[in-house]
Amino acid sequence: MDQTLRPTDPLGTGGPGAIPPVDGAGGEDFEVNLVSLNQWQIAWRRFLRHKLAVFGSLLFLSIVVAAIVLPFFFPFDFYKVPTPVAHCPGAPKSLASSGCPPSLEHPFGTTGGLQRDVFTVVVNGARLSLVIGVGASLFAAVIGAAVGGIAGYFGGWIDNLLMRFVDVLLSLPLLFVILVVSKFLGGGSWVSIIFVFAFLGWPGLARLVRSLFLTLREEVFVEAARAVGVGDRRIIFRHILPNALSPLIVATTLSVAGVIVTEAFVSFLGFGVDVTQPTWGNALNGAVRFIPVGNWWWPLFPGLAIVFTVLGINFMGDGLRDALDPRSKF
Amino acid sequence: MGKYVVRRLLQAIPVLIGISLITYFILLISPGGPYARFANNPRITAAQIEAFAARWGLNDPIPIQYCKWLGVCGEKPFLINALPGGTFEFNGLKIELPGGDNGMLHGDLGYSITDGRPVADVIGQRILPTFILAGTAYVIWLTVAFLAGVYAAVKRYSLFDSSLTVANYVGYSIPTFWLGIMLITAFAAPPLKWFPVSGMWTTRTVPTFGTPDYWAFVGAQPLSALYDLGIHLVLPVFTLVVVSIAYDSRFIRSAMLDALNQDFVKTARAKGVPERTVIFRHALRNALLPVVTNIGLEISFLFTGAIVTETIFSWPGMGRQFIQAVDNFDYPVLMGILLVTAVIVVFANLVADVAYAFVDPRVQYG
Repeated sequence: MDQTLRPTDPLGTGGPGAIPPVDGAGGEDFEVNLVSLNQWQIAWRRFLRHKLAVFGSLLFLSIVVAAIVLPFFFPFDFYKVPTPVAHCPGAPKSLASSGCPPSLEHPFGTTGGLQRDVFTVVVNGARLSLVIGVGASLFAAVIGAAVGGIAGYFGGWIDNLLMRFVDVLLSLPLLFVILVVSKFLGGGSWVSIIFVFAFLGWPGLARLVRSLFLTLREEVFVEAARAVGVGDRRIIFRHILPNALSPLIVATTLSVAGVIVTEAFVSFLGFGVDVTQPTWGNALNGAVRFIPVGNWWWPLFPGLAIVFTVLGINFMGDGLRDALDPRSKF
Repeated sequence: MGKYVVRRLLQAIPVLIGISLITYFILLISPGGPYARFANNPRITAAQIEAFAARWGLNDPIPIQYCKWLGVCGEKPFLINALPGGTFEFNGLKIELPGGDNGMLHGDLGYSITDGRPVADVIGQRILPTFILAGTAYVIWLTVAFLAGVYAAVKRYSLFDSSLTVANYVGYSIPTFWLGIMLITAFAAPPLKWFPVSGMWTTRTVPTFGTPDYWAFVGAQPLSALYDLGIHLVLPVFTLVVVSIAYDSRFIRSAMLDALNQDFVKTARAKGVPERTVIFRHALRNALLPVVTNIGLEISFLFTGAIVTETIFSWPGMGRQFIQAVDNFDYPVLMGILLVTAVIVVFANLVADVAYAFVDPRVQYG
């Protein structure tokens, strides 16, 4: 016999809402449909209830899939320039050298100058932009967790030294330093851009992790672990870090969006990834010169790609925050 | 209170030293370093470069060089060097101050590699346009964000509140530089051409900004000068404020919602205090507290936004100068700009902290 508990009579006092005794059941095969869920399963269910977060994740996921799959069908080669045409199809008076507006053949139009297909540029640009965004954020999270964890767990002069360093890095306008270091040390390679963003992007995360460690190390379960003789390393990795993980995951997710936007700006200025490699920032780089001749589609579509990606990540991050860290408000 | 201010000032010193170290680090990583100015000059001989290195102490160990750059190490004793130096006239009295070897602490930021002008002059010329742009944007941004956030909190779940939430999400996801590009495409490029594409003044009718001619023009025709500046400001200011308003109005909304949920607000309502008084006297003043902290912290955003906006709109400010300096490897200029902005940010944070302690009597200081 299958019967679920009804919450109307939690104390079992047999009031008006109580479950009536079932004849013949005798109580011995009284089954209750209770599934025990672990922390991550609970979070996952909470996440699925957040409509915007699910929408954002699907949006982001489809962009990732497009970035992986589509370049195989629309390969981009910097040195392969399409044969120029004089006029845009269907507009005999137009100059194709300033780019052709979106058409069936070129859904996002063509670029001014070399007349590349904007769709191909956008689709191929997604790869590097996403890799840099995700790679730099993950790397920064690792550094931030290490520095913040050490500072928060050990305290004392180590904490003081590390946090003063974090203070300094946070009081510099970050974009200024990123621009200089990308230009001076980047050399146009996307790997070094990831390093630059990671090495300059960790201080905020370190401060977050430190504050989490500061509260967690005073918790009773840490004290209990220490009392039975658990070593520092095990306390940090088994007892404290898992509890500090949720806010760190949220912050790292949101920082992916920030890195993508900043990298686009750095590359747009020509200080980031080499122009021979397609990124969204590089796609926008050339677009500016053709705005005065009325080419609006070239700057529009790479930018929209950034906006949708960032929007997806922000929705996802908000959902993650609600699911993993329900106590935080903002 | 005074004690608290002094303590915060003292705490700023290590941060400022750290900033100077990182700025100096830029010199170390800049390609060519101090010798970059000779890179494209075939007539410079090795002997001349050697003389240059000896004259400017480039053969010293790096810490000594840093100390000299700072303006602390020199021929005079350590502490005296850090004092401002020179001769001053005061009521006919000649005062000789002991310190002041050239160095950053004495306002000597070096010379630009590209045009040889003193960096302090370059910054001095560029700082006013940045303040005009950033200042206008800041006032508009705070006003709009505050009004929108408070209104959305008071009318929670209204149409305005939900549209603001959507607008926040979208606004926060738009890259500032791309917004600027698209605004130019839409409103400055043909066919609309409502606003100028770039720059700060109409070159055909108005003299160059900052020259005596310009101020004469402002004196003669203040209205048309103001109009000309205004029409050039519209798009850059809009670009600069959109993302910040999206972020801030959300922040202010949640601060106001917090305040409206407090017990004393319920008590006030229960007592029959008019809703208007509850909102403006009881809730709003408490919602101001987190806002005050944010105002100082966001000065850093403002400069970052200024770099982006000035580049897109060719606004002749510090941000654009910075980008040009990076492009030309003009490290003295970019070190100078970095130092000036970082110092402004540090002091803005300090002012915000002190203001917070002033506004919120619960903060312990002493």
